Amino acid sequence: MSQPWIRTVLALFACAALGGALAAGVADAQAPVKIGVIQPLSGPVAASGNYVRMGAEIARDWINARGGVLGRKIELVIEDNKSDPKEAASAAEKLIVRDRVPAIMGAWGSSMTLAAMPKLEEYGVPMVVETSSAASITRRGNPWVFRISPPSEMEALGLEPYLGKLGIKRADFLAVNTDWGRGAITAFGEILKKQGVAVGATEFMDQAATDMSAQLTKIKGTGGDTLFLTTSVEQITLVLKQAQEQRLERRVITTGGSSSPNQLVKQAGPAADGTYHIVFFMPWFPEAMPDGTLARAFVDEWTKRGHPFEGLTEGFRGHDGILTIAEAIRIAGRDEPKAIREALWKVNLMGVNGPIKFEKDGPPGKESGQSRPSIFIVQIRNGKVALPEFIVRH
Amino acid sequence: MTARLGGLVLGGLALTAPVWLGNPYFLHVLIMAGIFGVLALSLNVLLGYTGQLSLGHAAFFGIGAYTSALLTLRLEASFWVGLPAGVLLAALAGWAIGRLALKLRGAYFVLVTISFAGVISLVSVNWMELTNGPLGLPGVPAPALGPWSLRTKEAYYYLVLAAVALAWLVCYRLVHSRVGRAFVALRENEPLAESVGVDATHYLVVAAVVSAALAGLAGVLYAHYTRFVSPEVFLFTYTVTMVIMVVAGGKGTLAGPLVGALLFTALPEALRAVTSWQWQMLAYGIILVLLVFFLPRGIVPALRRRRC
Amino acid sequence: MEALLQHLLNGLVLGGTYALLGIGLTLIFGLMNVVNFAHGEFYTLGAYATFAALTVAGAGFFASLALAIVAGAALGAATERVLLRPLRGESIDTVMLVMIGLWIAMQNAELLVWGGVAKSIPHPFPTAPLVLGPVSIAPLRLFVLVAALALIAGAHLLIQRTRLGRAMRATFQDADTAALMGVRIRRIHTATFALGSGLAAGAGALLGPIFLAYPSMGDLAALKAFSVVILGGLGNVWGATLGGLILGIAEELGAGYVSSGYRDAVGFVIIIGVLLLRPAGLFARAERIG
Repeated sequence: MSQPWIRTVLALFACAALGGALAAGVADAQAPVKIGVIQPLSGPVAASGNYVRMGAEIARDWINARGGVLGRKIELVIEDNKSDPKEAASAAEKLIVRDRVPAIMGAWGSSMTLAAMPKLEEYGVPMVVETSSAASITRRGNPWVFRISPPSEMEALGLEPYLGKLGIKRADFLAVNTDWGRGAITAFGEILKKQGVAVGATEFMDQAATDMSAQLTKIKGTGGDTLFLTTSVEQITLVLKQAQEQRLERRVITTGGSSSPNQLVKQAGPAADGTYHIVFFMPWFPEAMPDGTLARAFVDEWTKRGHPFEGLTEGFRGHDGILTIAEAIRIAGRDEPKAIREALWKVNLMGVNGPIKFEKDGPPGKESGQSRPSIFIVQIRNGKVALPEFIVRH
Repeated sequence: MTARLGGLVLGGLALTAPVWLGNPYFLHVLIMAGIFGVLALSLNVLLGYTGQLSLGHAAFFGIGAYTSALLTLRLEASFWVGLPAGVLLAALAGWAIGRLALKLRGAYFVLVTISFAGVISLVSVNWMELTNGPLGLPGVPAPALGPWSLRTKEAYYYLVLAAVALAWLVCYRLVHSRVGRAFVALRENEPLAESVGVDATHYLVVAAVVSAALAGLAGVLYAHYTRFVSPEVFLFTYTVTMVIMVVAGGKGTLAGPLVGALLFTALPEALRAVTSWQWQMLAYGIILVLLVFFLPRGIVPALRRRRC
Repeated sequence: MEALLQHLLNGLVLGGTYALLGIGLTLIFGLMNVVNFAHGEFYTLGAYATFAALTVAGAGFFASLALAIVAGAALGAATERVLLRPLRGESIDTVMLVMIGLWIAMQNAELLVWGGVAKSIPHPFPTAPLVLGPVSIAPLRLFVLVAALALIAGAHLLIQRTRLGRAMRATFQDADTAALMGVRIRRIHTATFALGSGLAAGAGALLGPIFLAYPSMGDLAALKAFSVVILGGLGNVWGATLGGLILGIAEELGAGYVSSGYRDAVGFVIIIGVLLLRPAGLFARAERIG
């Protein structure tokens, strides 16, 4: 009577111990793969940063729903850089050292990205840059940087084929006084000059400025036919409204892909009609994107989550960035920074924007990765976003 | 006696920090706290001892950062040339502002300094040829000491610690000298001080020069630590952070600015650890309001009063 | 010539709103000796209150503007009672620090409530500009200019013609004597802060529909308000009015004829010049420092 009882207890113990060991082993294998995200989530560009975050969360949930990567779930560790380079560097340090993330996506603005970059080199952790446009980012000889957004030169080249059809004779520039705005003026200015287009005024506005009437009055005096506008959607809205008040009749082309035409239709109303916008994602006609199915699914998921439609032109960046990192981790076979960096060179996938594949850029031996994103141009016509007529006719 | 013992213990703790911290992230926070400690000490010379609030200190900080970054990048000068040059140029700017503006007092002085910082910041954005404008100056080299590079965090920590000690010593000597007593006399009762022969403008200019030079020192340290300088070094939030550190730590005390710098560099990082990003800045603001509300004179004076 | 006239008109419209912002701040600064860093947040509050009244509560446009002013004044009064009154007698820096804390907290609370995406505030005016010979102006801007001037005139009347205004002026000149004469200083302070905040909210409510409402909109506004206060002299309502108009026009001309990158520098340079040459403001009758 006593022996079976002991045996049962022993067996139970053994089972429990084995189960525990198994559970522990499973738990270890189930520890999530962490990916760091640095975005401006508060401060003047909080809206854009949050859209990128929402896109990143969609990528995370989709990947996890498909079983994660390396059989483990993905966890995003999200940090706010408060639009301040110092905070971006601190956030990178924290993600790498405290959270031990093997890869980061960030950090929206170029000065935030540039401030975080020395930390990548110091600790040897790769970062996928999803928005920044400054050419210097991939030219600095930082081999831990992989960019999926186009630098301004690439964007200008993307516009080149359409220049003739637009019939630009004389162009003016109005840009936000940051690396982005200045970079765009240089890049687009060069392409225009090459095509024999005269460049009139080059005007700047402070990032926080709300009244641009002085610049517009000045631009009105140059007698040009086209205005290139590079700034956030908020300032584009204000410029378009104020241009209408000043009776400035120009063809307006916005650059940088952050113009969010829907928001312009909603907020600038008729003042936005006829304007052209360079974008990197066309959520209005996802079928026209390189991978129509993926683009359609992304738009549907975004809408299902109740995110504002106008955020899609920023949100896709977050999705593509996380997708790229996850793919690199899969290729590497482990979530270890150095292996991920090597694997990033082998990434060849289809994002919402189009194909993502890195080419070498920068000084030999220390090259950064630069992908060649797809670039599109759309027009607002009668309160709707449409493909420009010269493209439709083709 | 206990104060001296406490000082020794703190000094020992600071000297051995890289050993017992054991985590480069905390060391990073300490380095930032050290840089801001120098800044807070610098602001304290003006605000704490002469009673004049400068809201343009980010300008001196930025001048120091840009000077050293440009010298080391464009002329490939050594850090040890960039450092004194940055300090000197900042001191020069401090002298100019002191000469021009210190015949004004109180709110008017505040506004001249804000405007000065505003102009300098706009120059840094728009003078592309010199400063590279909003694109900033990446790749500022790490300093070296003879054959040794101070690139590692530990080495840089000791460099910053030395700078904090130096700044503290400068303040200590200044405060306990004739000049320091003149500062306080001017702060407490300017007409009375002048009637006994204290030349107000002269002493205020001295204060402005010392203060600006220390801010420049902090700027140089910042540039070579983050290795990237952009017009954001002139951000108004940097000035605001300095004021928070000095006033919350205890203005007019030598320990207050350092306590404030440590606390308010660690607080945002601590908030990163305990709450998600939506609440961090909101909590920061509320904590600040509560702190001032309950310790209106600052932390160090409050501790001192309790002990007495 | 055409461009010059347009620049002047633009500057006048802009200056009117600067003036409105500056008056509130100059009262608070001059009378209570509070460097009100949260002033810009009351401006933001005005814009969001208008937006909320229009779109959430469904009130009319003009009712929403009035509601925003009331909301700003009420919150201003509450701020004075809760945060500033207990700190009376503390140094100006300590009080300033509380206002800095309030500024950070309010701005991030706005971000939390409304999100970072800018809100466009609908208005009933036609968008086509009114063309007056060589210049043009949007009807909304014209309305804003007129409304701003009306609010300024109202504030002026309040200060010059009412018992409350007289008590405020007495407190400004000499708080102790005023108290001895039976002026209830505490109530005057509450009223002053409420009035100043209400005017800031009014500026936000008026400018919101022209521009956009977003959490950090108050930062630039506060900076401009400080400039206006200096130009006009502490506590000088007429000075702030003229100072605002001058700043608006100077910025416009600076951006138009010098360099748009240095647009905001124009204001700073004027301030430095004014402070060095006439420290008590452009319009002070007697020099006064301190």
